[in-house]
Amino acid sequence: MSAEYVVEMKGICKRFGGVEALRNVDLELRRGEIMGIVGDNGAGKSTLMKVLSGAHMADEGEIYIDGHKVHIRNPLDAAHLGIGMIYQDLALFNNLDVSRNIFVGRELTRGPFGLFVDKKRMSDRASQLIRELRVDIKSPRMNVARMSGGQRQMVACARAIAFQSKVLIMDEPTAALGVTEASKLLGLIRNLKEMGLSILLITQRIPDVLAIADRVFVLKGGQRQDVLEVSRVTLDDVVTMIVKGKDRNGGPVPEVGHQSFG
Amino acid sequence: MSRIDLSGLQKYAVLFILLALMALFSLASPYFLTARNLINIVTQNTYFIIVAVGLSFVMIGGGIDLSVGYQMSLVGVVTAMAMMVHHLPAWLAILIGIVLGTILGLINGLIVTSIRIFPLIATLATSAVFQGISYLVSKANTFRGYPEEFLFLTKGKVLGIPFDILLALLIAILVSIVYTETTFGYRLMALGGNEEAARLSGINTKRMKVSIYTICGFFTAIATMVMISKANTTNSSFGPGTEFIALTAAIVGGISFMGGEGNVLALAGGVFVLAVIGNGMQLAGWGTYAQYIVRGAILLGAVAFDEYQRSAKLTKQKRKG
Repeated sequence: MSAEYVVEMKGICKRFGGVEALRNVDLELRRGEIMGIVGDNGAGKSTLMKVLSGAHMADEGEIYIDGHKVHIRNPLDAAHLGIGMIYQDLALFNNLDVSRNIFVGRELTRGPFGLFVDKKRMSDRASQLIRELRVDIKSPRMNVARMSGGQRQMVACARAIAFQSKVLIMDEPTAALGVTEASKLLGLIRNLKEMGLSILLITQRIPDVLAIADRVFVLKGGQRQDVLEVSRVTLDDVVTMIVKGKDRNGGPVPEVGHQSFG
Repeated sequence: MSRIDLSGLQKYAVLFILLALMALFSLASPYFLTARNLINIVTQNTYFIIVAVGLSFVMIGGGIDLSVGYQMSLVGVVTAMAMMVHHLPAWLAILIGIVLGTILGLINGLIVTSIRIFPLIATLATSAVFQGISYLVSKANTFRGYPEEFLFLTKGKVLGIPFDILLALLIAILVSIVYTETTFGYRLMALGGNEEAARLSGINTKRMKVSIYTICGFFTAIATMVMISKANTTNSSFGPGTEFIALTAAIVGGISFMGGEGNVLALAGGVFVLAVIGNGMQLAGWGTYAQYIVRGAILLGAVAFDEYQRSAKLTKQKRKG
């Protein structure tokens, strides 16, 4: 198994009752790249990513991280493998401050059996993360309920970085943001790439993808259509692929190599 | 429409309310503000504090346990019968009672997490079951006149302080540390704040929910020991009603009905607000039945205030986001 890819998903199938959400999907993510995941509503984008993040378990298929076969049964398994996901609804805790939000589930502890939380260490680390990410959050003691959509996204990012994630999945991060905040966030995503993260970016905003992604992965009806090199395609190419799919005659979708482009 | 943000104040509001009520009742009755009466209020409410502390675990975790009253009924008669019918030593009877209470809590937790019904309905149902079992076990008999060792729980003194006050204080301090300093406490606030997010953060939410109902059962059983020791008698009608007072006290004490918030000092304040109202109304000659009406009104008022706070926060967040 070559470790050219940080993530490889092979033959992923997922059914919800009678609905086939994912059919035999392959995905390869290169180290240090930003890959856009696009497709129409119900194409299976979020489902595919949730399989990787441990929120769903695949019915069939295999996942390799750095060339090693892994079993991801829950979000904690994924976290231990260095996979962090930022959910569309953000999965933040409105009743808690920034520092506590960042460390939920993986608190920095002290004392026997990790019984007690180390508040100071968490607060210091949170401040440090905020500085590293160059985001405008004044204090780790701030309550996230009082924050803007962009600030909340940044807390979610800080949360993913705090645990040395090497793969970060972002589900529609710019969907609820205004123009200014969205462009700030895209800048942050570039920072994350510079920090060495590999990023999977689910989005409906194709221009966002073309602005920051290296490649675009197109899903339709739960099936992989193609992976396009951003430098070689236009907005129209991507939209056409999303709407019509790889095979415009409606026949069975041929096997496509990961190097192909539209 | 502008809403006033009172969340910072709410933490301590209960203590101001308590002082205001005490001022009011000392005007209404000359007997209220006497050392003897105030000590009375404290000693009569130690077991309410212990139940409320137990219930607070469940409520902070976003659940509710309406069955604590009949848990007390069942644990009470079983403990009393162990001593009075089966002539077991007090320590063994207490142990049996506490193990039983913990198991009742565990049952609640397992039902809430495995059948996935609203805890309000689940624990209302188990409450009826516990009631039935309690009466079947006690055959509607009353058991009174406990051994001295058992009465020590409420009549005994350590360092000059009544044992049950010391016990309630110890539990309050311990649980306060759990909430503010431990990993468990931190995760409990997260669970109550956003259960799905807690799951996605890798917290085993199911196990955590089972554990908070179990902890609630454990503390409820301890409170039962204090209750029947203080009364030196019990039957199956001892206990029911406690759930209402503990629940109201918790909400008055700033433990949100929706979970995710709470501190023990304010919780104790909530218990004493209800206690002072009860005691003061009694001394002022307003009678028991009027107290029910006032308690109901307090519960409604506290929940409404909680709702107001919540929606004020949300409006603020929407406007900014």
